[in-house]
Amino acid sequence: MNSPSPTGNPEPEPAGIEADHPRLVALLMDGDSGAAMVAARRLRTATEAGPIRVVEALEAAMELMSNKCTSEQFNLLEIMLTGRAAMAVARDTFPEGTAPSTKGTVVIATPEGDVHDLGKNITRMVLSAKGFRVVDCGKDCPVAVMVKAVAREEAFALLVSGLISPVVPLVRQLRPRLRESGLAAVRLVAGGAALKQCTAEALNVDHVASDAFDCARYLEAAKEGRP
Amino acid sequence: MNGLERILATVRFQVPDQVPVIPQVFGHAAVARGVPLERYLTDPAELARCQLAAREDYGSDAVFALLDVNVETEALGSSLQYRKEGYPTVAQFILERPSDLSELRIPDPRRAGRMPVALEAARLLRREVRDRTLVAGCVLGPMTLACQLLGAEKALFASVDEPQAFERMLDFAVDLALSFGGAQLEAGAHLCVVFDPSASPAVVPPGFFRELLAPRLRRLCAGLKGMGALAAWLHIAGPVEPILPLYPACGVDIANLDYCVDPGRARAAVPGLCLEGNIRPLAFVDSEPRVIAQACARVLDVARPGGFILSSGCEIPLEARLDCVRALSAAVRDQGRP
Repeated sequence: MNSPSPTGNPEPEPAGIEADHPRLVALLMDGDSGAAMVAARRLRTATEAGPIRVVEALEAAMELMSNKCTSEQFNLLEIMLTGRAAMAVARDTFPEGTAPSTKGTVVIATPEGDVHDLGKNITRMVLSAKGFRVVDCGKDCPVAVMVKAVAREEAFALLVSGLISPVVPLVRQLRPRLRESGLAAVRLVAGGAALKQCTAEALNVDHVASDAFDCARYLEAAKEGRP
Repeated sequence: MNGLERILATVRFQVPDQVPVIPQVFGHAAVARGVPLERYLTDPAELARCQLAAREDYGSDAVFALLDVNVETEALGSSLQYRKEGYPTVAQFILERPSDLSELRIPDPRRAGRMPVALEAARLLRREVRDRTLVAGCVLGPMTLACQLLGAEKALFASVDEPQAFERMLDFAVDLALSFGGAQLEAGAHLCVVFDPSASPAVVPPGFFRELLAPRLRRLCAGLKGMGALAAWLHIAGPVEPILPLYPACGVDIANLDYCVDPGRARAAVPGLCLEGNIRPLAFVDSEPRVIAQACARVLDVARPGGFILSSGCEIPLEARLDCVRALSAAVRDQGRP
């Protein structure tokens, strides 16, 4: 579909450009960062609505990857490659500080005692590509640092990723610590191999995400006020 | 039957006197006895004492001369950060780039890092249990060692960006596993668990496993068995169903099943392969013995035809409840006999 022109009518795209959108989506899905950046530059300079078409392509690629996840055919490597390509295109299209974070700010961290941050990094890539502003507190992160970051950044959600079981008690502390800081309304999402074995109730969080895309779907619903 | 006979009969699809039980108790053996984890991971006599105590307490058919997943990378020069309440972690990976591999040599397992601790632990355990209980050593599989040399994120990107250098890393990993595994077998281990969680379909696509990892696992399993391993035990966590059918051609005899895999479907996929699993690991922390018993009953239903070892889906967490771990062997006594 063509993007509307400033007059509200669909703006005709130059010959060949209409193929660039699906081409960019395909390149993102292939994880081909270099070729995706070339296609994105071509797309964004072709029309006034070019940058919007690039964002649409990023979202389309993430949607396809998300569908793939739910059909149980996903793996970290493919998500990482698509995520890396999407981040490269996003950085190229929107240089530092100009990216439209349309979906709000979230804080993400791997709790203290756990240094396995691959899952967190993938979630960060996916959420960034889907339009969230993601503040990354890193790995081995104390609870106090996460809570401070949520307050400072005015985040609407705190996401924690844990691979090993000793982080479970720390995750359970998050809700009361947020409440003490006047942040009771902040959504809490847990994920990662160890935390996925628990229920949301057992962890005292709002949602246990099965993967990065499930996390994104939950956050999108939360932003829209859905339960 | 003793534990070793029971396991071997099960692997060969003969009828054991009862389903073998192997709680995957590693560092938990120390924590449960109030022994500092760092001492357990650096003192072979302490490791052996804790493993033998765990065997008595939990009625296990195996003991593990197994430290942690950092032994190989530490022996090659990665620096570790030891922690009071958990396993050590890599502070600095030995490789910056895959091409730096040319500077590495296979370490001497009798001298490098904590490899001698693992060898001595195997020797002490075997001396104690002789052939009554299985003594399991451990080597990292090629994908996991590649991740432990570079860091997981870099290693995964390297598999696409620098495929030739990455494949050299995989080959190096197999050479190292054969060297370290051979030394463990010589020291007394009956077999070495090939621990390769990064080869999981949750991490890399099944096609990646088939093309890059299966041939190397085949070389590793054949090599270990050629050096006297009684069986090849492949431990890959996560949703392994898509790659299970490739295991027999890799020479695998025992396949670990994580809690997320349906044992019945796994059995149907590989009817001639001994399966081991698959109680949810965190259930040993946040559950009750009766819930473990119920979970075991469901698994043992699948185990009836044989070729099944009752176990946890992955390592039993350090902080597991002792009564929950004991529930595994109780389940076998109650329900695991022909």
